Amino acid sequence: MQMTHIKFIEILWIVLIVLTLFSAYMAEQAKPGFDSVAIMALVLAIKGRIIVDYFMELKHSHYILRTLMQLYFYVIPALIILVYLFPDQIAAWTVL
Amino acid sequence: MFIVYFLAKVHNPEIFSEGPTKLSTLAGTSNTLIMLTSSFFVVRAVISMREDKRKSSVRWLWAAVTCGVLYLIIKYFEYEWNTAQGLSTETNIFYAVYYYVTFNHFLHVGWGTAAIIWVIYRLNTGIYTKEEHEGLINIALYWHMIDLAWITIFPLLYVIR
Repeated sequence: MQMTHIKFIEILWIVLIVLTLFSAYMAEQAKPGFDSVAIMALVLAIKGRIIVDYFMELKHSHYILRTLMQLYFYVIPALIILVYLFPDQIAAWTVL
Repeated sequence: MFIVYFLAKVHNPEIFSEGPTKLSTLAGTSNTLIMLTSSFFVVRAVISMREDKRKSSVRWLWAAVTCGVLYLIIKYFEYEWNTAQGLSTETNIFYAVYYYVTFNHFLHVGWGTAAIIWVIYRLNTGIYTKEEHEGLINIALYWHMIDLAWITIFPLLYVIR
């Protein structure tokens, strides 16, 4: 039973490493555009959820604590996409 | 911290599009791999403690400390490399945000690493048991939070153009 849990954690670690190497590849090779920004936002969301749910073991914790932490990885990826799609509007709303 | 980044970005799109191209993707990627691996080591330390394997837990924590120190060394050389490229906080708003965010994170990794060494000391004195090791859990959560911050910083500053 415990061996299975360790193996699961090892697989997640490998997934995180592969996603990071993929991000590095994107940084060097991909042309800037909505596709690459959306993929980066998705990669961030996946990596965040893996760490929050399984490394921090919050998947089965109190729902308020869990939701607050998980929310972080919906909000930041959403902001990445919104800032890419609507920079002028957001800039206009945030002038003092 | 990230709100500052997003606000600065929408008001200076060209500078933020150009900024990441002059940073070392290798340094950013290496430190991401190191942070993720250190988090994995911390998880293994907690699992070992739950199995009442104190020595194994200590070994996993030392591995995490090694990662923390390696991260700090790479970040130091990255800053040196930036300086050699003529990059500083005064170059433009992108690099001001870059140094604000990454140096803040650098400090957290530094004292997080010191806190892990403190927990190792506590483990060696036999204070923690299989049933009661809250200090270890606390530093594990803190370390994962530092990791979460870095995996957010990495795409924002090094990847997205």
